[in-house]
Amino acid sequence: MKTIKLSFLLLFLMLLGANEGKSFCGFYVAKADAKLFNKSSQVIIVRDGSRTVITMSNDYQGSAKDFAMVVPVPEVLVRDNIRIADQMVFDKLDAYSGPRLVEYYDQNPCYQMIYEEEMSMMDMAPRAAGSAERKMKSTAQKYNVTIEATYTVGEYDIVILSAKESDGLKNWLLANEYKIPAAAEEVLAPYIRNEMKFFVVKVNLEKQKSSGFTTLRPIQIAFHSDKFMLPIRLGMANAEEAQDLVVYAFSKKGRIETTNYRTVEIPSNKNIPEFIQSEFGEFYVDLFNTAYEKERKRAVFLEYAWDVSFRNQIKCDPCVGPPPVYNDLREAGVHWLKNNGGTNIEGDVFFTRLHLRYDRQNFPQDLFFQETPNKSQFQGRYIMQHAVKGNLECDEAQAYVKGVAKRREKELHQLANLTGWDISDRYDYVEEFASKVKKSGNDNGWIEPDFKKGGFFNDSENNIPIGKIALLLAAIVFSSGLRLYWKHI
Amino acid sequence: MHKELNIQGINISLKAFQNLWLDPRHFQIAFQTVFLLAGIVVLSWNLEIHNYLIALAACLLIQAIGINYTSKDYSALKSALISALSICLMFKANHMSTFALAGILSIASKFLIRYKGKHIFNPTNFGMILTILITGDAWFSPGQWGSEMLFLFVLMLSASALLLKVGRLDVALSFLGTFSGLYFLKLVVYLGWELDVFIHHLSSGTLLLFTFFMITDPVTTPKSQKGRIIWSSLIGVLAFAISNWYYVHSAPIWALFIMSPLSILINKFYKGKTFSWISK
Repeated sequence: MKTIKLSFLLLFLMLLGANEGKSFCGFYVAKADAKLFNKSSQVIIVRDGSRTVITMSNDYQGSAKDFAMVVPVPEVLVRDNIRIADQMVFDKLDAYSGPRLVEYYDQNPCYQMIYEEEMSMMDMAPRAAGSAERKMKSTAQKYNVTIEATYTVGEYDIVILSAKESDGLKNWLLANEYKIPAAAEEVLAPYIRNEMKFFVVKVNLEKQKSSGFTTLRPIQIAFHSDKFMLPIRLGMANAEEAQDLVVYAFSKKGRIETTNYRTVEIPSNKNIPEFIQSEFGEFYVDLFNTAYEKERKRAVFLEYAWDVSFRNQIKCDPCVGPPPVYNDLREAGVHWLKNNGGTNIEGDVFFTRLHLRYDRQNFPQDLFFQETPNKSQFQGRYIMQHAVKGNLECDEAQAYVKGVAKRREKELHQLANLTGWDISDRYDYVEEFASKVKKSGNDNGWIEPDFKKGGFFNDSENNIPIGKIALLLAAIVFSSGLRLYWKHI
Repeated sequence: MHKELNIQGINISLKAFQNLWLDPRHFQIAFQTVFLLAGIVVLSWNLEIHNYLIALAACLLIQAIGINYTSKDYSALKSALISALSICLMFKANHMSTFALAGILSIASKFLIRYKGKHIFNPTNFGMILTILITGDAWFSPGQWGSEMLFLFVLMLSASALLLKVGRLDVALSFLGTFSGLYFLKLVVYLGWELDVFIHHLSSGTLLLFTFFMITDPVTTPKSQKGRIIWSSLIGVLAFAISNWYYVHSAPIWALFIMSPLSILINKFYKGKTFSWISK
């Protein structure tokens, strides 16, 4: 029996424990080579007026014969509006828009030398059938399900269904050897009522064999709909855990934002300790986790926003990966670009990268988006300032050494604030310079830093007692309200 | 001598405090300022102080000019301050000039678009929508307040007290009742979503700010209670229609814009006394 993975965005749900733990290959950090975000999926969404192009990345790792997915779509798609996209586009967009670590070098106060170099760490590495048809048709009538279209596209067999009731759809899927989770049924109903069609995909093993591709390639669909949304609810049907979703959105005007959830910029432009270089992946994962908890698990995070039109020369600052070129954008579904030859490419494109972690409790509604004229640029950028490694014996160096010790203390607190890490065992990072401070006369040299969380040097920006302020404001408003009520009613 | 002066000082401040209670606009200004601060501090909005200041300056300036040529009653500057704060709370734009334009259009509409001695459009609503239409540089961000229950509760409670005083709670309740009632029918009864989908849909800070601080403007709402209930229910129906069929997520704001002139007609059928900020 085939196991169906109900989802909008290739959320290959683990059903009945069959494939537990096999799928969900996340992003990787190049050097750390560790899984960053588990249970993540990626989608490209291109919006122009009512025309929407959605590309869903296939990082499914299980056996191809067990792969299946159901996507609610607003209309019956014609064959021309379904195609196979190149996985490279995802990899490229991921690498281009991922969080970046920037490094700068101090000048040695004893020897004047200038270094300045920027580097990126975050490379989101690439990861990553005759009688059945008759049965489909005969069962369709029985269960009050209409087969609107069937296509074979690349290695996929695609059926587009419409249904009158969720029971019928569920039973049709069961009769056609798909197992669906019990919780899916109640989620199917609202989509059916909303006159959505169901885009059901499975792998045609023969075609896959002849195509020579071993991994499943992304599927791209295009349609017209006034609704600008992603139906994420189906993907939660039997998922207990929260799942990550990265949305790469393209529009003509400006940033894309969610209208029914807050879109929040991920903390950016923060100075962090030098040792983060070797653990940038873990750093970013924990930074994301911390921000996610701080927003009470209900926000959608903005990780990147940039005008990637060809007339805009600066595509990132600094660039982590090569910016998308004409072919990448066309492949992603940005259909309005005109290539007039060479580098003369016409058309405005604004790119937004959103990252969210959703579960049933905190994201009860599907994601609704809107396009805004907001063209301000944003990137997740973290700064590493390298201290001088060489000889610091000269007198001029004393002020510098003290400065570095203080700076490093700040960086450590910043790190604790951003990631929630315990920094008490990282004291040697400050000590390396604190110990170089010479003690003489009235100058007591380096004063032991206060390493309690929330110390004096703690970056105040990250140290706002939000809960207390909120309560205080609430109390003020509440009491004035009461007073007013009391006086005049 | 020194002591006397002190007592006198206290007396003066007490009197000022008593006067404060007489005009509900003072409370509206206080509430809106608190909400704006909450947005900046708690929700860490991008600091847009310069935009806020320019909106404030534009509103006050146009209001002052308008007053100078009409009533000469400078206490109406408070209304301009409320308009400016409403712009800051709801409106987003790329450029400072867009904020200035929104402020100018808001207040100018009060003096230029009038019928029988009363302005027709809700000033901020008119200014923001016209600016969006003219410049294409501005937008509403319906998700920006999130759905934090404590915040929504405080907002509703404080606003309700204020509205009871000015006698416009009927507007807020009949709008919210109609709008949420229709959404309940659609989401829960018709589509079969769970109740928390419905609650999430309505627990939007932007919707509640609109309901309790914008649509309830005593000057532009119909004069009689019956008229107000009909009028705001119609806005609820229209807002539902716009958001449901055209997927405009800031639908209530557009619905108010469209329905504002209707209040003139409603005033003809249902008479009532003209609103005055300071109860006599």
